[in-house]
Amino acid sequence: MTITWNDSVPIYRQLRERVVAMILDGALNEGDPLPSVRQVAADFQINPLTVSKAYQELVDDQLVEKRRGLGMFVIDGAREALLRSERERFLREEWPALYARLQRLGLDLKTLLREAPESATGNEGSQP
Amino acid sequence: MNAVVTATGLNKTYKNAHALNDVSFRIESGRIVGLIGPNGAGKTTALKAILGLTDFKGQLNVLGFDPRTQRDQLMEQVCFIADVAVLPRWIRVSEAIDFVANVHPRFNRAKCEAFLARTKLTPNQRVKQMSKGMIVQLHLALVMAIDARLLVLDEPTLGLDILYRKQFYQSLLEDYFDENKTIIVTTHQVEEIENILTDLMFIRDGRIVLDTDMDTVGERFAEVMVSSDKAAAARNMKPLDERQVFGKSIFLFDGADRATLESMGEVRRPTVSDLFVATMKGTYA
Repeated sequence: MTITWNDSVPIYRQLRERVVAMILDGALNEGDPLPSVRQVAADFQINPLTVSKAYQELVDDQLVEKRRGLGMFVIDGAREALLRSERERFLREEWPALYARLQRLGLDLKTLLREAPESATGNEGSQP
Repeated sequence: MNAVVTATGLNKTYKNAHALNDVSFRIESGRIVGLIGPNGAGKTTALKAILGLTDFKGQLNVLGFDPRTQRDQLMEQVCFIADVAVLPRWIRVSEAIDFVANVHPRFNRAKCEAFLARTKLTPNQRVKQMSKGMIVQLHLALVMAIDARLLVLDEPTLGLDILYRKQFYQSLLEDYFDENKTIIVTTHQVEEIENILTDLMFIRDGRIVLDTDMDTVGERFAEVMVSSDKAAAARNMKPLDERQVFGKSIFLFDGADRATLESMGEVRRPTVSDLFVATMKGTYA
């Protein structure tokens, strides 16, 4: 597999973000094993220490756990915890700027919902 | 940490050239070290000294042995792949395996055969019928099946196509490397190994001009893209290098203050090849 790393962020951080995205997307479920350090190092052609460092951060954030002799596993409740912290982060860091932009453009909620992509509207009775 | 290689004051002169000029370094166990330098900088001489293939002045300890006097013991623990083909052209795959099995006490035949089973090589095939990539595959299979603590690779992927090159490093990481092993590699294709390395050494004119671990590279060196109005200010901060792209200047700094750099433009980590070009400026001039 070939992926391009971004030069302004350390690779272990980018690797961590990939695992986080996989947990949020459901590509990795709670209780699932993470691929072994060796496997990831070989697949991405990066040093095993880099992979270990990324995994260690996930352990420190209590998203994965190390099971002796078996490897790393996604902790129960990891997805919920991630969703919570990602929602908080969105509201804190992204929403104020987005809200200001919507105000500037004069877009109201009704218009936004009408224009929402079909796949994203879901079935929660939010028809205009 | 235990040192795998400790070199102190290595010197080696050929007729009129200083191939190694007071070279000192230390390599720890479990590292993957890139020894990078222009042609004729002394890379191969340094590797030959480590392998006991050349004489030199100074002190050198490799896995507790002196390569000059204890080469036999040392060779049980060290493997080497050179850029020049060393496998005889007439030998068959099966004969090569038999040979290594007979001469090397730490060779694991099953491991070698398992690795070869994943390639297109067949036991009866002779080296002279193989492409360069296939020869390297065979060589790698023989070497990886030896439980050696130090692996020395001198331009291992020279002349290979992209597929074989990727597969080479993938195999090393998947089937060979662990925290008890150490790899020293020289190559001109730095971009394909820069994420694999734990440590980086630059050699120029027989001297080690940079010796650092990769984490430190990211902390010490920074590239910043600056628009023309701030270029003079950046130039005042004594950059290692400057180049122009799309009307902007890219400066490479060693040890400059991060916050100051960030106030001038977008900061990123330089690639090993950028760093190499900046460090080796004027080598052929």
